[in-house]
Amino acid sequence: MRMFYILNLPAFITVSLIILLPILGTFAISLFRFVTFSEPSFVGISNYLRLFSDEVFINSVLFTLKFVFFSVSAEIFLGIVLALLINEKIPLRGLFRGIVLLPWVIPSVVSGRVWEIMFNYSYGFLNFIAEIVADLRINWLGTEIGAFLSLVIADVWRTVPFVALIILAGLQSIPDEIYDQSKIDGAGSLSRFFFVTLPMIDVFILTALIFRTIDALRVFDIVFVLTGGGPSGSTTPLTLYAYKYYLSGDFGYGSAVSVILFLLTLLVSIFLFRVVGRR
Amino acid sequence: MNVFYILPLIFLYLVSCTSRSELTVAVGGTSAEVSYWYKLIKRFEEEEGIEVRIIRQASDSDLRRQHLILSMISHLEDPDVFFMDVAWVGQFIYSGWLEPINLDTKPFFKGSIEVAYREGELYAVPVNIDCGLLYYRSDLLEEYGCDVPETWEELLECSLKAVDEDIYGFVWQGAQYEGLVCTFLEFSYSAGGDLGNINSEENLKALTFMRDIIRIHKISPPDTYVSMKEEEVRLIFQRGLALFERNWPYAYKLHKAENSPVKDKFGVAPLPRFEGGRRASCLGGWYIGLSRFSDRKEEGKKLIRFITSYEVQKDLVEGLGWNSPRIDVMEELGEKYAHLKVVREACNYAVARPPVPYYAQISYIIQKYVNGVLAGLIKPEEALSRMDKEIRELKEYYE
Repeated sequence: MRMFYILNLPAFITVSLIILLPILGTFAISLFRFVTFSEPSFVGISNYLRLFSDEVFINSVLFTLKFVFFSVSAEIFLGIVLALLINEKIPLRGLFRGIVLLPWVIPSVVSGRVWEIMFNYSYGFLNFIAEIVADLRINWLGTEIGAFLSLVIADVWRTVPFVALIILAGLQSIPDEIYDQSKIDGAGSLSRFFFVTLPMIDVFILTALIFRTIDALRVFDIVFVLTGGGPSGSTTPLTLYAYKYYLSGDFGYGSAVSVILFLLTLLVSIFLFRVVGRR
Repeated sequence: MNVFYILPLIFLYLVSCTSRSELTVAVGGTSAEVSYWYKLIKRFEEEEGIEVRIIRQASDSDLRRQHLILSMISHLEDPDVFFMDVAWVGQFIYSGWLEPINLDTKPFFKGSIEVAYREGELYAVPVNIDCGLLYYRSDLLEEYGCDVPETWEELLECSLKAVDEDIYGFVWQGAQYEGLVCTFLEFSYSAGGDLGNINSEENLKALTFMRDIIRIHKISPPDTYVSMKEEEVRLIFQRGLALFERNWPYAYKLHKAENSPVKDKFGVAPLPRFEGGRRASCLGGWYIGLSRFSDRKEEGKKLIRFITSYEVQKDLVEGLGWNSPRIDVMEELGEKYAHLKVVREACNYAVARPPVPYYAQISYIIQKYVNGVLAGLIKPEEALSRMDKEIRELKEYYE
């Protein structure tokens, strides 16, 4: 038993240094009034109390949750559809699989810029199409709902391939014999999907769900590039909100926001892991 | 509290990992700017015999600020000399990150130098400045029989004639962003108010006027509060779709360009005031400063004196098209470039945004409420009293 601890010690130290220490450090700073222009002083939980009466913070939490819900649901649904498609024995399947992966390969800052140009009011591609088809121009990034949808669209476009890839791995682990058997039993393609495919890949779906949920809670790059949090601060995720405070020199308050985000992510992950663990 | 500095310190040390024997200066911005700095610093090296290392920063100003904040809270020796936007000078001074500089400030515009003082010491020197200007269509003014407006009331009167002709009277920056603080500051000061005392009669007059020219007189575009930033405003004026425009000096060169439809049909003037008020121009620009943690303070001061000297400032105006904070330079070049005379006059009325360390939060509050008034979501009286309350709370919290 002592050997067990000794052998695990290096790993434990490494993990502590690179994960535990920064988390504890951030938590410690969040208990201080830590602004660059005055001496730090211990204030206990007052940063947190201030957070909960901060309207902008509450809106930021709501935006983050809304963003996670809509983008992850769309990603899982489209991911399953895409995975089923590229799992079929179609001609040039390898090529298609490669193409499908492309959006995931592009760095998100780059794809953010590309979407920004597409959504632009005056010269964007989407308004070019909208003007031809319906003779109207949409202020994509200028209204609250427009900016929100634009972010969801850009995020979904980028991450569906990732979800599809995980689910594709699940699909390929299903032996053909089961499908043959169910065909003999008289199952149609719909009931084959719901009673054979879906139960066999649910663990893969949940894995993708966990990855995507945690990632979406921490969304930063695409929002930073695409909307910068606007209009009227309506699309500010918690990461960006914390960043703004770091930038203006209030590290205590910014850390408190980070800690809340960490706890939120932790809770959601524990919940999801429980669901997966039960299977 | 040192434990909090250690992690960024280790990180930055590993990233930079260079010998720290020479003078280091952080330079960023557009590529034209950066290559100009390379040239200038080379000249400095030759003239003074001091070796200088240049740290390339990002072109985005928030990223430049982030780089500097990280270096400062980790008490790094490098960079020794760096540039700051006027909006963060307050934060840097109050955080104690800057070393006092001895310099003759007489040749500089008063408004531009005041922000950089704290308790009788000068902590930063302006390198280029920007002051809000009024652009007008000279051909249309003649057609309508108007003079270049001295007051906002005259501007409104003349603009109403333009609206009858189906072009906008006055375009300005009203979207929710930093630029809105500048336009609000200009209206407020020109009504006789200020941003230190938010809830005043003068500010009410200013804010009501800003709302009414959009919503009642309709001389400004209906989407002023949604999308109007510098470039949007500039393009409307440049396409000949507006009579007056509020913008920074940079627009002059672009309006004058070969392919500009208003090339020979516009003029530029200081911004108007309200009847009984005073003229005001929002102060923008970049400052140079010396880090308190620098290990090359003497050489750093030499570099700052070099960059803000008469000769180099003249070069910056002619080479980069910047506006110098030095009155003597602007006066001399005003003979050569007529618009610099107007910039020089406008800069006499320059007013800085509040140089407080927590300015970013104040700016956010002002943006939110002024934009709300323009959007018709909140009454000017209520907006001012809520702004006042929130800014007071901020002050209490931070001071």
